[in-house]
Amino acid sequence: MMKKLSYSILPLVLFLALCFFLYQGLFSDPRERDSSAVSKSFPSFKLPDLMDETVYYDNTIFDGQMTLINVWGVWCVTCAIELPYLEGLRDQGYRIVGLYYDQDLDPQYGTKTLQRVRQEVKQTLSKYGDPYQFNIFDVYRDTALDLGVTGAPETLLVDAQGVIRLHHLGDLNERVWRGKFLPIIAQIQATQAVE
Amino acid sequence: MKRFFFRTLFFRTLIVASLASFFHAHAQTTADVSASTDQAAATSPSDTAASDTLAANDYAENYAFDDAHDRKTFLALTEVLRCPMCQNQNIADSDAMIAHDMRRKVYQLMQQGQSEQQVIDFMKERYGDFVYYQPPVNSVTIWLWLTPVIFAGIMLLVFIYRKKKPQTGDLQAKLARANQLLKEDE
Repeated sequence: MMKKLSYSILPLVLFLALCFFLYQGLFSDPRERDSSAVSKSFPSFKLPDLMDETVYYDNTIFDGQMTLINVWGVWCVTCAIELPYLEGLRDQGYRIVGLYYDQDLDPQYGTKTLQRVRQEVKQTLSKYGDPYQFNIFDVYRDTALDLGVTGAPETLLVDAQGVIRLHHLGDLNERVWRGKFLPIIAQIQATQAVE
Repeated sequence: MKRFFFRTLFFRTLIVASLASFFHAHAQTTADVSASTDQAAATSPSDTAASDTLAANDYAENYAFDDAHDRKTFLALTEVLRCPMCQNQNIADSDAMIAHDMRRKVYQLMQQGQSEQQVIDFMKERYGDFVYYQPPVNSVTIWLWLTPVIFAGIMLLVFIYRKKKPQTGDLQAKLARANQLLKEDE
């Protein structure tokens, strides 16, 4: 009798296991992926300033200080919305550098002129807040591709040695900042204190 | 009897379903690969019959290839690379900005003389295994292939075990009954 009972329960157990598996799937984020960029050095680059094409930046910008690289563009609505939050972080003393990219500026795709984009950038930054120390202009979006950027906004945390410690896809807000960024920042500061 | 029938039916369905899903997954990967090569083959510039496929792959017209074979490789590559922004589109299909950029990158890398595998590795290094439709077989993903097989194996064992046991029991009971009847006759 016991044996029979255990057999008739088997389908129910399997069914419940399946339910559990599928139920878990309801709360998984298909966009959540481990970035390949984390714990690698920031890819080498030499790119102009967005506002002044005679000024060039390279990997030395990371020397000696922790930097937040914010990937953005004026064409991205969420980017504009997170600007006030980023400004708050800047006021707390974090260094934020923009990595600007725009497909419309690329002669292969768009028709916008650099002058017009600069004007739009100024407008956006004066309207929503300007958290950036400066903006790197990723002309052909090669650096964004090397970083594994899939869209905007995305934010990367680069330590004083130029190593990427965190790559966040999507907007930066209080919840993400506390949950994802602060623990890593504490780690970086702890190792710095030891040295 | 009725209960037995339904249970058997349930187990059989499970076995069939697991086997079917296993083979289906395999068939699909092979079909995907062969479809992409077929399509790439069909869109050679000399082939006017495949104008529909040509229209679908209009983006290839933006890129000049000296060699028809390179063009095929380009089309095949953009079919097997997944757009990281969109959930289930290859970069040939997608109109996302990132897909545009990745197509151009594929073209640039090919012009530099990189092989098909090198281009795939380039993308995988930046966007992870997600970017390539053929998942790598490693200690984590091996379960994708093993689980259905193990499950089907267990179900098969259960099925055989359950089918055999009552039969022997019946046989012995019948023999005992027959012996008894024989004894009674004597």
